[in-house]
Amino acid sequence: MSISVPDSPPLLTVKGLSAYYGESRALFGVGFSVEKGTVHSIVGANGAGKSTLLRAIVGMMNRGRAAHINGIVEFKGRRIDHLKTEEIVGLGVTMVPEGRRLFASMSVEENLLCGGFLARCRSAMDETLESVYDLFPRLADRRQQPVSQMSGGEQQMVSIGRALMSSPELILLDELSLGLAPIVVDQIYQRILTINQRGITCIVIEQDTERAMRVATSVSVLLEGRVVLEGDPDILGRDRVSAAYFGIDNAGISR
Amino acid sequence: MNEDLYWALIDIANGLLSGVMLGGYYAIISIGLALTFGVMRLVNLAHGDLLVLAAYLAVLALQFVPMSPFITLALVIPVMFGVGYALQRFMLNSISVQSMERRGMSTGYGLMSPILVTFGLSIVIAHALLGGFASDARIIRNALSYSAVRLTEDLNVSTLRLIFFGIAVAILLGLHLFLKRTHAGRAIRASADDVEITPLMGMVTPKINAMASGIAISIAGVAGVMVGMSRTFQPFDGPVFLLIAFGVVIVGGMGSIVGSLVGGMLLGITQVLAGTYFGPSAQLVAGYMLILFVLAVRPQGLFARRR
Ligand SMILES: Nc1ncnc2c1ncn2[C@@H]1O[C@H](COP(=O)(O)OP(=O)(O)OP(=O)(O)O)[C@@H](O)[C@H]1O
Ligand SMILES: [Mg+2]
Repeated sequence: MSISVPDSPPLLTVKGLSAYYGESRALFGVGFSVEKGTVHSIVGANGAGKSTLLRAIVGMMNRGRAAHINGIVEFKGRRIDHLKTEEIVGLGVTMVPEGRRLFASMSVEENLLCGGFLARCRSAMDETLESVYDLFPRLADRRQQPVSQMSGGEQQMVSIGRALMSSPELILLDELSLGLAPIVVDQIYQRILTINQRGITCIVIEQDTERAMRVATSVSVLLEGRVVLEGDPDILGRDRVSAAYFGIDNAGISR
Repeated sequence: MNEDLYWALIDIANGLLSGVMLGGYYAIISIGLALTFGVMRLVNLAHGDLLVLAAYLAVLALQFVPMSPFITLALVIPVMFGVGYALQRFMLNSISVQSMERRGMSTGYGLMSPILVTFGLSIVIAHALLGGFASDARIIRNALSYSAVRLTEDLNVSTLRLIFFGIAVAILLGLHLFLKRTHAGRAIRASADDVEITPLMGMVTPKINAMASGIAISIAGVAGVMVGMSRTFQPFDGPVFLLIAFGVVIVGGMGSIVGSLVGGMLLGITQVLAGTYFGPSAQLVAGYMLILFVLAVRPQGLFARRR
């Protein structure tokens, strides 16, 4: 399902990206690129730096001395690594954060409306809202329900819907499966494929390599803050990806 | 009906009525404190002094243009909005919990710095007022000071209190609708819920904080004019109103509009009834006893939102 258009730059390019939490370093010169219209998966074990990478892309790591990044992030050929999160979201990149992070005192619809806060989203707000309800009919029946009274799966739908409200071109999805039953995770990934078919490029992060490879056009394996393997998941194959994931090189020796 | 019983009931009814009226006024004194705490975890110790500043602003306006004190609100509200906005934007944003954490300092610095800064501001405002207006007690004269509305033969309510109550309800209702129905209002609530994530919605935290602070201080400004119309005030009276605001917020719970109104009413009713039965000196004591009681049995306040 690769729709990459030659000659135009990738939608997102990351080059030599390092990230620091104070003195400690979480990413070591990470690089990869994502073509428009694809699903790119990033897999890695606990603490590999997956969330840090996504947070860095949306400008949530450029916050002064305590947490900061070094390196280049380009969206549609334009550098965004020095921009603030709200500016990056304005350009059409957004993220579904790890752990869903809904606005707990609000209803489903209020959460979605918050997602459409940007001035450029307000004129088409009603249509975008309907398209989210169309994607997740379960939310349509629960518009006024407080999100605190919803199941984990439903909350994840709200979180994805809220991100879609900003009409993004690129959406970063951080561990959607966290704490959800496998059957619910399957349903949610079905929806991600629908979103992708609507033309939105996706970056998917998972610990579960199998699931991540199933939905992906391309995959990067992150190990202790470095990309150790990347390519087409069908060509790489499961064994090589899981070997890289655990840090075992081809000779079977742990690094 | 037995005459004694009748008068006992009238006393209670009068007490409840004026307590409720007082509650609206208390709610307006305190809602700003609850709002800035709810949104920014910021305790503004200059809240009371800003309120007194607004009362002096009305006094000043009336010196130049004689008019109904209510008309001064048209000046006081926008000026105090600007003061609150600028205070947050240019002073408090840079020392918030978030900014401190961003600079690699502990949360403690972020909680402590605004306390020190607003405490300093409180002193600066009080001394500036002393310098500008001297220490004479002032009052904003108005035609309604001694007027009362008669509900039954023995049941009265002060006209001024009734008007203040109406204004209070209108402001609280307006604030509720603003927070519930507008993009800006939802952004303020979203910041209160999870300020780390709001930038992902395209919300600009410093501006949203500044707007919340502007709203909070402009409502304190309205309270200042109400205070000035109902009692005498002096440059150093700020802490009196800060204490009332703390009391209401403790009783009603932080960050709840209904909580502020009901908390204000409970405090008002307690004070008035205590005053009726045990004399004026019991008023304040009873109020603080209510506050201590609530702190002991329900420290999150009676109407605290679950988070
Ligand atoms: N706020 C923080 N302060 C300090 N160190 C952090 C912080 N967040 C993450 N780290 C460190 O950065 C490294 C990468 O963390 P990150 O959360 O990006 O991993 P992850 O791949 O998303 O893991 P998981 O699969 O558990 O979500 C870890 O070593 C972690 O301890
Ligand atoms: Mg993570």
